[in-house]
Amino acid sequence: MNSSDAGTTRRRRFDELVAVFHQDMYRYAAWLSRDRTVAEDVVQESLLRAWKSLDSLRDDAAAKHWLLTIVRRENARYFERRRLETVDVDNLTPSQEALLADQPDHELDDMRDAIYRLGDDYREPLVLQVLMGYSTNEIGELMGLTQGAVLTRLHRARLKLRDEMDNEMASGRSKS
Amino acid sequence: MNCEEYREAIGADPSYGGGEAHVSACDDCLAYRDEMRVLDQTIGRALAIRVPELHTPDLPEVDTTGVVSLAERRRFSAPAWMAIAATLVLAAFVGIRMYGSNVTYPSLADEIVAHLDHEPYALRVTDQPVDDGRLAKVVPANIAQMNHDAGLITYARTCVISGKKIPHLVIQGERGPVTILLLPDEAIDDTVQIEGESINGVILPVGGGSVAIIGERNEELGTIQQNVVNSVTWST
Repeated sequence: MNSSDAGTTRRRRFDELVAVFHQDMYRYAAWLSRDRTVAEDVVQESLLRAWKSLDSLRDDAAAKHWLLTIVRRENARYFERRRLETVDVDNLTPSQEALLADQPDHELDDMRDAIYRLGDDYREPLVLQVLMGYSTNEIGELMGLTQGAVLTRLHRARLKLRDEMDNEMASGRSKS
Repeated sequence: MNCEEYREAIGADPSYGGGEAHVSACDDCLAYRDEMRVLDQTIGRALAIRVPELHTPDLPEVDTTGVVSLAERRRFSAPAWMAIAATLVLAAFVGIRMYGSNVTYPSLADEIVAHLDHEPYALRVTDQPVDDGRLAKVVPANIAQMNHDAGLITYARTCVISGKKIPHLVIQGERGPVTILLLPDEAIDDTVQIEGESINGVILPVGGGSVAIIGERNEELGTIQQNVVNSVTWST
């Protein structure tokens, strides 16, 4: 295979992978960063990094995990560079608010708000399990946790969300 | 399985399918499971935010000289062929197995690995041993005698592998929980190695049966294997 053919094949392979996994990359980045604008930056950086190291991906069946790992690292780099402070949910930028007001549905708005308030340690495994379909083993591997720790965090995350939603419902009832 | 164990398992994964015997007899846990599943649907919809149109960044030229094409990369090396051949021999030996609702596994090792995901609660890190009564119920005298020399046993449950009820135990290893499946009816000639992305293990021939031992990727299983094998005596 000459150099030109190899380049074309490489680009086609990259485009196919990105077409399949772009949504997952963006949503993962958005829930990690809790900011749509940051997520777009993180995804752009991740795509560049993936393009440069594409030849290290030996099996396309592992592409999703490979790409999400890149997103995770790029997100960490982004926040190291910017040294962003902890987000105050009562004082959001328009880009952060855009994440919460994604679709006009009160229940989903409340749930997004509750997920937004979850600590990173709880939010990330939940996103990986519910949105990305990861097993607890895979979550543990990506986050460097034992499976027991993953199970505990997932359980606590759901309890926190349930309590938040119950409180929201009770507060809605008391207002009406 | 008690209420606390069941709720922890469902809270960690609402699709958890174990504990049917418990939940069918416990209305509170049944309601908890339904509540968690409804909650999870809402979580899923809330997380699935709109995704903006893809804008691929300007990609720099990459030197593809020396890049091995995908087809070539996927070619199996000689050791890989040998591994595949060994797997096929094992599969032929074990036969096609059925588990639960028409799921087919090509080998005993595959069925065992799949079984690990069925019971996430089993793999919690804890220092609470199961009581002797529970252990005696799961490992009845007509199957095997097992003493506590195997290690700290933190989980014991009767499960089904290859259509037969077998004791499923978990002990705490150095790197995390280690699963032990006692397989009195599964005779094998040689040790079978189990390797996965996050696990390693073995199926050991023990008397007229075998014992599967699976731990975390970096778990050192040598001592555990020795202790387990020394602590088990088949009754059949």
